[in-house]
Amino acid sequence: MLTIAALTFKEVVRRRILLVTVALAVIFLSLYGTAVHYGYQDMTSSHYAGSMNALIAPMFLSIGLYFGSFIVAFLAVMAAVGAISGEIENGIINAIIPSPVRRLDIVLGKFIGYALMLSVFASLFYVAVLLIVQLNTGLSAPVRAGAVGLFCLQPVILLALTMFGTTFLSTLANGIGSFMLYAVGVVGGMMEQIGYLAKSQVLVDIGVFSSLLMPADSVYRKIVYGLMSTPDVSLSNMMLGPFGSFSEPSVWMLVYTGFYIVFFLAMASLIFSRKDI
Amino acid sequence: MIIETDNLTKMYGNKVGCSEICLTVGEGQIFGFLGPNGAGKSTLVKTLVGLLFPTSGSARILGKPLGDRSVRRKTGFLPENFRYQDWLTGAELLSFHGSLHGMNRAEKTRRIPEVLELVGLGEKGRQRVGSYSKGMQQRVGLACALLPDPELIFLDEPTSALDPLGRREVREIMLELRKRGKTIFLNSHLLSEVEMVCDRVAFINKGCIVAEGSLDNLLANTVEVDMRVEGISQKMLGELSILSSSLKAEGNLIRLCLRDIADTPVLAEVVVNNGGKLFSLNTRQNSLEDLFIELVKEGGHQVC
Repeated sequence: MLTIAALTFKEVVRRRILLVTVALAVIFLSLYGTAVHYGYQDMTSSHYAGSMNALIAPMFLSIGLYFGSFIVAFLAVMAAVGAISGEIENGIINAIIPSPVRRLDIVLGKFIGYALMLSVFASLFYVAVLLIVQLNTGLSAPVRAGAVGLFCLQPVILLALTMFGTTFLSTLANGIGSFMLYAVGVVGGMMEQIGYLAKSQVLVDIGVFSSLLMPADSVYRKIVYGLMSTPDVSLSNMMLGPFGSFSEPSVWMLVYTGFYIVFFLAMASLIFSRKDI
Repeated sequence: MIIETDNLTKMYGNKVGCSEICLTVGEGQIFGFLGPNGAGKSTLVKTLVGLLFPTSGSARILGKPLGDRSVRRKTGFLPENFRYQDWLTGAELLSFHGSLHGMNRAEKTRRIPEVLELVGLGEKGRQRVGSYSKGMQQRVGLACALLPDPELIFLDEPTSALDPLGRREVREIMLELRKRGKTIFLNSHLLSEVEMVCDRVAFINKGCIVAEGSLDNLLANTVEVDMRVEGISQKMLGELSILSSSLKAEGNLIRLCLRDIADTPVLAEVVVNNGGKLFSLNTRQNSLEDLFIELVKEGGHQVC
């Protein structure tokens, strides 16, 4: 398992997947940093800001984390979309399966390799966004290990789902399916926030249902809720609209997310262990 | 026995991959597995190495049932559609396969240069697999199969991408491995190659084994005889056909395939006893190619 995990990590580095992602993330963070710097200056100096002043920095923070989540989710799906199916299609797996390694170890090894890469990337991204906002706006939003962990959890959820798909779908079908499900989670999350604003229980229920299908968005909401619960920004959650969180997803949602990951990994291992190559 | 299969069957839905295969391969043999395209050769090999799961029947490899991990440590496999991680160097690829086989660092350090040298890659092990020619990729695939010094090696079309010199080198490697007591299961289209190295062969057609045995025995049963005879009668032809698998008479010429080369003198007796005059009798040992074509054309009868 560790041999496969090490090879997977090496592949991400050697095939420049990580390099391209880091380079694009640097471009994103540079633009984001510039926008926060000048946007915050201009907006706070504007006479329209008034009582909304306290909302500007949290808004920049939530936008950074929201699109950051999007980028790491994208990376998770793109990296793992052909983890098994791609190697079946090109024949690389034919030389690996007859070796004394169990098929379960191949699935878990690849999962660990990608999860490690995604966690390193997501942690750095999260810290960078927080530092950019802190340095430019003075917002008190300390880096907490729990929040970093949750930010890393988001791509891992998608990774488990994508690993499941790659064991029985073609690479293309898996990519489309995983993104569609991610989109369901994102749109459902937005619906839920709009539902709170508009006091529509139907929209809230849609959000809850979509979180069960794809819990990545509810993890994002939990991070944002936690960040915005500090005394000086406690009201922000209500004012951030689709980027904020009116209520904190419960710890049971995290438990469910854990089961979600384990379930899809178990299914991936089971399907792959019985698959004719 | 190194390989034993008992009615091993693999179906793809309603389509037969291979059907009721009964084979035994002894230790230290090079076993040739022959058949036309789509006959089920690769299906059987893939089933034996664990890529496919049998629909019914069973098999034992090195005395253990299919899928046993301890057996996999002692087997090597070169797939037909060989493809490897092109972003690794040859040596790194071998190191990865060594780790999969549970080899420690010291073993890998000793074995990797050895097998690279053996397959003719030597210093090219430092280059990325992506920069290799197809022949070099097949060589590095062979190196992967040989790396753990396996007792049993499955080679699926091992010389398909090699030039004549490369083919000879691979043949020499196979013969050397046999000398060291290793067993090789060779899937090949190249009949001349099989003829040169194999001790035993099996023919598969439409998913079924249609002939199996030592090369000498199989070829001994395919002796073609031409006779020039005067006074051919129906009775004579009837008696001759009992000794042959096929018989054709045109004018004074009788052409037949003898079932057993030992029956050659009996042919003359039959002609003379039936009042015929024998002017010439020429025998010709069929090649493996003739046997292959005959079995594929006839479809053969399942042997199990």
